Amino acid sequence: MKLTKRQQSDLLDCMLEMGDLLLDSGAEVSRVEDTLTRMGKAYGAGRMDVFVITSIIIMTMEFAEGEGITETRRIHTTGQTDFYRLEKLNSLSRQCCEKPLLLPELRAQLDRISSGHKPFFMLFWGSVLVGGSFAIFFGGTLWDGLAAAVFAAVICLLQEWLGRTQINTAAFNLLISLVVGLCVGLVTGLIPALHMDKILIGDIMLLIPGLAMTNAVRNMLVGNTISGAVRLAETLIWAGALAGGFMVALLIVQAVH
Amino acid sequence: MKDVIIQLVTAFLGSLGFTLLFGLRRRYLFAASLGGVLAWGVYLAVEAWMKQGFLACLIAAAFAVLYAELLARKLKTPATLFVIPAIVPLVPGSSLYYAMSSAVQGDLISARSYGTQTLVYALAIAAGISLVTAIRQLKTKKQ
Repeated sequence: MKLTKRQQSDLLDCMLEMGDLLLDSGAEVSRVEDTLTRMGKAYGAGRMDVFVITSIIIMTMEFAEGEGITETRRIHTTGQTDFYRLEKLNSLSRQCCEKPLLLPELRAQLDRISSGHKPFFMLFWGSVLVGGSFAIFFGGTLWDGLAAAVFAAVICLLQEWLGRTQINTAAFNLLISLVVGLCVGLVTGLIPALHMDKILIGDIMLLIPGLAMTNAVRNMLVGNTISGAVRLAETLIWAGALAGGFMVALLIVQAVH
Repeated sequence: MKDVIIQLVTAFLGSLGFTLLFGLRRRYLFAASLGGVLAWGVYLAVEAWMKQGFLACLIAAAFAVLYAELLARKLKTPATLFVIPAIVPLVPGSSLYYAMSSAVQGDLISARSYGTQTLVYALAIAAGISLVTAIRQLKTKKQ
């Protein structure tokens, strides 16, 4: 496919959009680099240089010798993992690598994917299931599981509500863990048959950035040192905020008892 | 034995919860959640055999990634879709909690031991995943 200058810069823009969406849906850095490189080559670039960390994408495409175009995209949001989108983006890139789509078509597909979200009921029931199951998994009773499920529902609603505001992830974790810790402390104080620790552990599994952290360490171990380190620092701050919120809540609960 | 069954069942439900939370497509739900049960099964088996939590966690994580990679290859989807639900039961949420609550109660010795345990398990998971990734990279040629 032979592209004009105008089309080349259009393509670059589309691909940055693609990278942005991939990161926002929770794709790993190495996957984003890989996908963009393959796609660029499929569209006729002789050489692709892509550098991605979770906060920026830098991309240079070279169509003819010495004629490179470069653009960067600052990424502000790292959204929640969204397999629904991730899979659509993946099949779109596969499609492009086999037989490149025309640019307006590619643009339309990207717009369609970016406006679609996983449905809320999945989020809700997912949270409930995670909270409830892990409370029992880590040794809680059935009642602990039910209580954890109820609090997980509260967390999900809070997340949905706070997600519409400008709050950053660290402040968000601090606030949510504080509120949940206090609520669980209050309820277990009233109903002694429930175990505060098991309920909180179930709900921690919902909030803990354990997977992001694992991914970060993994990135560093397989050679993406910079992006791994950036991500690790981020997740450590989130985990710290989470722990801080819970610890303050536990202190208050302890002082009241 | 009863405990093991409860753990396996709740591992399945918990993994299923995560697949829903992340918006996985309906026809992959079962296979993805099964990964969590299998990984936890591997963990329990290795742990019972070798009495070694770190190694058990590492092997279980490696197994989870292998399972996810094979499944992804078969279904032509990214492996991440199946890695995350399979790894989830291994995440050391409980030791993290006890580290925090011991610290709050002023029991710094327990806090340290739980904290170390949390880190070691997290490292074991990461190492297990990386092991499989590294081996896979050995088999793909440079472009």
